[in-house]
Amino acid sequence: MEWFANPENTKPLGLLIFFITFCLIVLWVYGNKKRGKRLEEHKNIPFLDDDEVKKD
Amino acid sequence: MSFKHENVETNAGVLLVLTMLAISVGGLVEIAPLFFNKDTTENVEGVRPYTPLESRGRDIYIREGCYTCHSQMIRPFRDEQIRYGHYSLAAESKYDHPFQWGSKRTGPDLARVGGKYSNEWHVQHMIKPTSVVPESVMPNYPWLLETKLDISDIGDRMRAQRVVGVPYSANQEEYQRNVKEFGEAVAKTLVIADAKKNLVAQAQEGNYDGDRASVSEMDAMIAYLQVLGTMVDFSKIKPEELVKFR
Amino acid sequence: MSATNQAATEQYDYDIIKKFSIMAIVWAVVGMFVGVYIASELAWPFLNFDSPYFSFGRFRPVHTGAVIFGFGGSALFATSYYVVQRTCQTRLFAPGLATFTFWGWQAIIVLAAASYVLGYSQGREYAEMEWPIDILILFVWVAYLAVYVGTLMKRKQAHIYVANWFYLSFILATALLHTFNNLAVPVNLFTLKSYSLFAGTQDAMTQWWYGHNAVGFFLTAAFLGMMYYFVPKHAGRPVYSYRLSIVHFWALSFMYMWVGTHHLHWTALPDWASTLGATFSIMLLLPSWGGMINGIMTLSGAWDKLRTDPIMRFMIVALSFYGMSTFEGPLMSLKDVNALSHYTDWTVGHVHSGALGWVAMISFGSLYHMMPRLWNTTMYSEKLINMHFWLATIGTLLYITAMWISGISQGLMWRAFDEFGNLQYSFVESVAAMHPFYAMRAIGGVFFLAGMLLMAYNMYQTIRQGVRAEAAGARAAAATA
Repeated sequence: MEWFANPENTKPLGLLIFFITFCLIVLWVYGNKKRGKRLEEHKNIPFLDDDEVKKD
Repeated sequence: MSFKHENVETNAGVLLVLTMLAISVGGLVEIAPLFFNKDTTENVEGVRPYTPLESRGRDIYIREGCYTCHSQMIRPFRDEQIRYGHYSLAAESKYDHPFQWGSKRTGPDLARVGGKYSNEWHVQHMIKPTSVVPESVMPNYPWLLETKLDISDIGDRMRAQRVVGVPYSANQEEYQRNVKEFGEAVAKTLVIADAKKNLVAQAQEGNYDGDRASVSEMDAMIAYLQVLGTMVDFSKIKPEELVKFR
Repeated sequence: MSATNQAATEQYDYDIIKKFSIMAIVWAVVGMFVGVYIASELAWPFLNFDSPYFSFGRFRPVHTGAVIFGFGGSALFATSYYVVQRTCQTRLFAPGLATFTFWGWQAIIVLAAASYVLGYSQGREYAEMEWPIDILILFVWVAYLAVYVGTLMKRKQAHIYVANWFYLSFILATALLHTFNNLAVPVNLFTLKSYSLFAGTQDAMTQWWYGHNAVGFFLTAAFLGMMYYFVPKHAGRPVYSYRLSIVHFWALSFMYMWVGTHHLHWTALPDWASTLGATFSIMLLLPSWGGMINGIMTLSGAWDKLRTDPIMRFMIVALSFYGMSTFEGPLMSLKDVNALSHYTDWTVGHVHSGALGWVAMISFGSLYHMMPRLWNTTMYSEKLINMHFWLATIGTLLYITAMWISGISQGLMWRAFDEFGNLQYSFVESVAAMHPFYAMRAIGGVFFLAGMLLMAYNMYQTIRQGVRAEAAGARAAAATA
């Protein structure tokens, strides 16, 4: 417990935790082709409501 | 259950909770320790709550938006030391609700303006800054001299500040505590019941606006400006004592 | 055309969006006019007119309040209600509550401006509203959250589109920041005056945690939500990378909350806190630029639109300014740079490169896209949009150039020593030296305001056109019946 109270210890620890979390998110998002494809499909949502005729 | 980002994307509640978590960490880590860590604010002698008149002056300082052009926070640089004086300590604003450190110096820093100029200079400067500093772009504040200071709710104002932690005394016990901490002379100015009497006495004695007959907003404003940065006697403090608080 | 369009105006709750978008334009005109006025006061101080009500100190929060909360806020309410309905393909949840957010929000802006002019202020930047107004904000905000989340819950689309994440994070963060930063004890129940619950260092920390995240969430995350819908929609192409937008969202939401302390470098705030703020400020460059690239690359393969479409130009220039100011920000958060830039006009220039270049321009682009669709018509004049674009761009560039020069020269003059080791300049010499740049800044503001007036006129004509066409349509329908 004492070890955690010292900011000199907790600072790098925090950095490590956040960096790993960040890497996991990036891996998760980009790591799998199939998942990537599914995610990318969502980008079309703004066009699903296209009930108007394009003027340009 | 295996974690899937789909759960986040397709469930407004989960998205809400996770976002809340993500945005809460930063504030918690940075703000919470400041309230519990004793090293945040130095323990230096001399810092005391404002007298009723100074406190009313501070209200006017805030009302007129002085903080939009003046800072009250001297940084530890050689040029600022020469221009303004010793760098500001956390302790010097420990009774400031709210803080007025500012973010912009369209005009100079005011953290140690107290005692730098005479009362007469301040009156002239407030009425028409260009009369004493020709290049100044500061607005004129003639109404401060013309307006009588409203002292009807001074008690309420001190009571409200007492609630947020300023040691104005509401009873004998608190008064005794103040005597111990600040000495008898200061402790007397912090008695809420005597606020009006003390305010008028200080204005008449100080004669800030050059008119003893009535208490104007100018009296309060100048009383406040003249006390800024003067509470701590830096000749009595060794620089190395302050280092650990930086 | 009209048959399908008619469906859209009935399918969605457009009335509330119309109200908010009109008020966004009204507040933009008012707020920018006050901005030009206070900029002129600094260049030509006689404009203060010895009047308490027009003096710079009381007027400045009127400017910031009207542009940030009036213009920015109304534009965000309008676009978020539009985007959430269209990407969820459903009508607003609790439209009565939404109407309350409209009237409540407008009342807040008016009351705040009136109270500043009359001399009521909490004395903390961008949080000057006194306690009764703060309580009203809280009510409106809770209603906003309820409408927004309620609409998300009744959506007909399985996935929640990323623009909504940004809007949601903005609503949550604003609620959090507003509540904790405005804790105060009123003098009594019949006066507006109050005293902040915190003092000194703690108060400074809370205020800049709020202050910078007003920028981070109110003026960035929310406008990124706007960007993620309107840029792809207007370009007619999906966003460059959806995966990047996910990383962008989580990184930005997490990191922004840490950076406020870079406003307190070299102050009495403990060093570790401001160092932490600087570190996160540097790291924040990554998600910021990720988002900018995501937006700009949406247009890859359709760059020719930039030549022909002034609305697209607004959006892309907005993203470029976003990229520029999110590079400048981390730079200014470095302690050595900050030692020079802090307290100077450089900060003011930086804020405005974000506020004029990014926030205002992305809002202009989005409003130009959205408003003709709301009134089921087309823009009255493309040419005026084009002129607005150039006026806004020139105005912004004039403004930030003036502030760079004045900011850096202030910083250098304050720290200049002569050969004997004395200060080379008195403070007032630096004030006098700023005059030409303050004048130039005011002129930049006039350009920007002129463009805004063109927009207001153009919108007025567009709406009139739409209303007339609708009336004519109704008459024709009645005649055939």
